[in-house]
Amino acid sequence: MPAPPPDARSFRSELIDVRPTGDDGVVLRVRPTIELPALRAARFFMLRRDDELSPAIPRPFSVYRVREDGSIEFLIKVMGRGTRALAESVPGTTLVTVGPLGNGWPVLGGDAEPLVMIGGGIGSVPFYMAIEQALAGMEGAPPVAAPDITFVYGAAHAGLLYDIEVFERLGVRVIAATDDGSRGFHGNVVQALEAEWSNGRLPERVRVLTCGPDPMMEAVARVARDRDLPCWLSLETYMGCGVGICNGCAVRTAPGGPFGDWPIAKCCVDGPVFPAAALALD
Amino acid sequence: MAQLAVSVAGLSLRNPLLSASGTFGHGLEMRHVVAPSLVGALVSKTVTPRPRPGNAMPRIQETEAGLLNSIGLENRGMQSYLDTTLPEVAGADTVIITNIGGETEQEFAEIAAAFDGRPEIDAFELNLSCPNVDGGALPYSTDPKTAERVVASVRAVTRKPLFAKLSPNVTRIEDIAVACERGGADGLTAVNTVLGMSIDWRTGRPGLGTIVGGYSGTAIKPIALRCAWQCARAVSLPVLGCGGVRCAEDVLEFLAVGCSAVQVGTANFGEPGLLARMPAELDRLLDDAGFASVEDLIGSVRGGSRAEVPG
Ligand SMILES: Cc1cc2nc3c(=O)[nH]c(=O)nc-3n(C[C@H](O)[C@H](O)[C@H](O)COP(=O)(O)OP(=O)(O)OC[C@H]3O[C@@H](n4cnc5c(N)ncnc54)[C@H](O)[C@@H]3O)c2cc1C
Ligand SMILES: Cc1cc2nc3c(=O)[nH]c(=O)nc-3n(C[C@H](O)[C@H](O)[C@H](O)COP(=O)(O)O)c2cc1C
Ligand code: FES
Repeated sequence: MPAPPPDARSFRSELIDVRPTGDDGVVLRVRPTIELPALRAARFFMLRRDDELSPAIPRPFSVYRVREDGSIEFLIKVMGRGTRALAESVPGTTLVTVGPLGNGWPVLGGDAEPLVMIGGGIGSVPFYMAIEQALAGMEGAPPVAAPDITFVYGAAHAGLLYDIEVFERLGVRVIAATDDGSRGFHGNVVQALEAEWSNGRLPERVRVLTCGPDPMMEAVARVARDRDLPCWLSLETYMGCGVGICNGCAVRTAPGGPFGDWPIAKCCVDGPVFPAAALALD
Repeated sequence: MAQLAVSVAGLSLRNPLLSASGTFGHGLEMRHVVAPSLVGALVSKTVTPRPRPGNAMPRIQETEAGLLNSIGLENRGMQSYLDTTLPEVAGADTVIITNIGGETEQEFAEIAAAFDGRPEIDAFELNLSCPNVDGGALPYSTDPKTAERVVASVRAVTRKPLFAKLSPNVTRIEDIAVACERGGADGLTAVNTVLGMSIDWRTGRPGLGTIVGGYSGTAIKPIALRCAWQCARAVSLPVLGCGGVRCAEDVLEFLAVGCSAVQVGTANFGEPGLLARMPAELDRLLDDAGFASVEDLIGSVRGGSRAEVPG
């Protein structure tokens, strides 16, 4: 039975800072009331306010950054009630916090192909620590050299490239792509990627990681499949519990893949990161 | 220290707190967050004879005051439960209640018979909200005769305690309660989810992939309380209250209207560690109010005259 990760806990944390970013985003910095294990990039927490104004069901958010003082940052785009309640909170607010949850990216070592990370809008969040950890040497793996990491960050327009300057400070190549051309490449991330390849600025063989809206991830996965490149997706499904007990986060799996013949995986405990080959993609 | 232990249909529960089916996994998935030794019993998600992949996404949608779901009884079927889940559950330091379902009376009897010999299972809960394929796909819970027959068909193949889980989506729940008692149930669970839907009027898109689903959480507590009370009055069986419970106060309300124990569902999603915190809260509230034991509170509802016409 898929169970929540053994290091997952249900606890309270205190909001210590709220910083606006982009058109409709905020960075929440929280101080957990318990000591957390080292967090692999793309793992997530369920969060809600501990009051009557908040929706009763917490919402899932990737870890954005872990700061030196042990506080954790989440980068949140306001979508509806749950995200608005969080974004409008003031420092001192208590948050119901469940995690760390999910698997996170695979170990990104310097002993394989260069990495191309493709984030769409708020899908950029799990890449900050992915880059940081890959550069530092992830969980004992050899470090990835900065020139071997390319981050393609796409959105409809510049105001939705949340914290892009923070990503740029990581020292890897960041390619912005906007649908309206308001920043960087004029076009979507797949077009930006194809342009990189045709200009010879990207090696033919790369490992592809992606997170963003489903149609974008599906397009990226198709490109990876056509070029026979290894590809991982971090999915953002609806979640009821985040810990494997509600069956609300169903993801369709590929027959005969790593999930055998069962057509459904749970995004929260089997993912949120899946190899593209494990999924039945449209 | 108030006495929290209760005896229900021959089961000794260390406290009156149970998980509700489908909201706490199948077995011991949550043991790192809520030690089984802290709860009265764990209730499994509905197990059906054959595997069911469940419904299309989205399967859950939170609305203003509750949660809509249309999971579709996703489960890997009876064989997987026997081979994989039960060995994990063996030796669990709590009472294990297996919730079973089927599309025909024979299916209910088939799964109960297959599970009857397994010592890991302490009791069964029958999910009567399953559609009765032989009866035009209406749920068993909506007709006293089919409810009685399906309970009787399971009764015939097992001596383990049997709880019939009722639906609030009926005109007179007490008639179903009486029918289940006649069929041989040892207890009732009241209630399952209330039918509901949501829609985004701008796009015309319903919140759930199946349009209609089951509504649960805070909003349904008064409905569940009313149903549990009506059941407790109508039968001499113990009733497990369920619906909208999210704190110890709510648990005590269900006991006051006549429930012997209470199940916690949707609130587990709001805080997975909730059930671990509740026993101490129950104890404190009972102490403060001067109750020596939960049993003293059960069915203490009194006064009032029952209005035939509300409003
Ligand atoms: C593993 C994981 C990590 C995530 N990380 C982040 C993150 O770092 N930052 C961030 O801002 N968001 C992240 N999300 C998405 C975030 O959880 C949702 O945006 C949030 O749940 C929306 O809640 P709400 O109450 O504000 O919106 P709701 O009121 O629930 O919905 C508002 C609108 O958004 C749509 N919507 C809501 N949830 C989803 C969804 N999961 N998929 C598609 N559409 C949806 C609804 O259909 C509706 O149109 C993550 C999701 C997952 C599963
Ligand atoms: C996501 C979800 C899945 C459920 N699955 C089942 C199920 O498999 N079998 C069942 O008898 N009830 C199921 N239920 C109903 C609950 O057990 C409970 O009766 C109902 O949700 C009301 O209680 P609550 O308000 O505390 O959640 C489910 C409820 C939810 C929210
Ligand atoms: S979100 Fe509940 S099972 Fe995945």
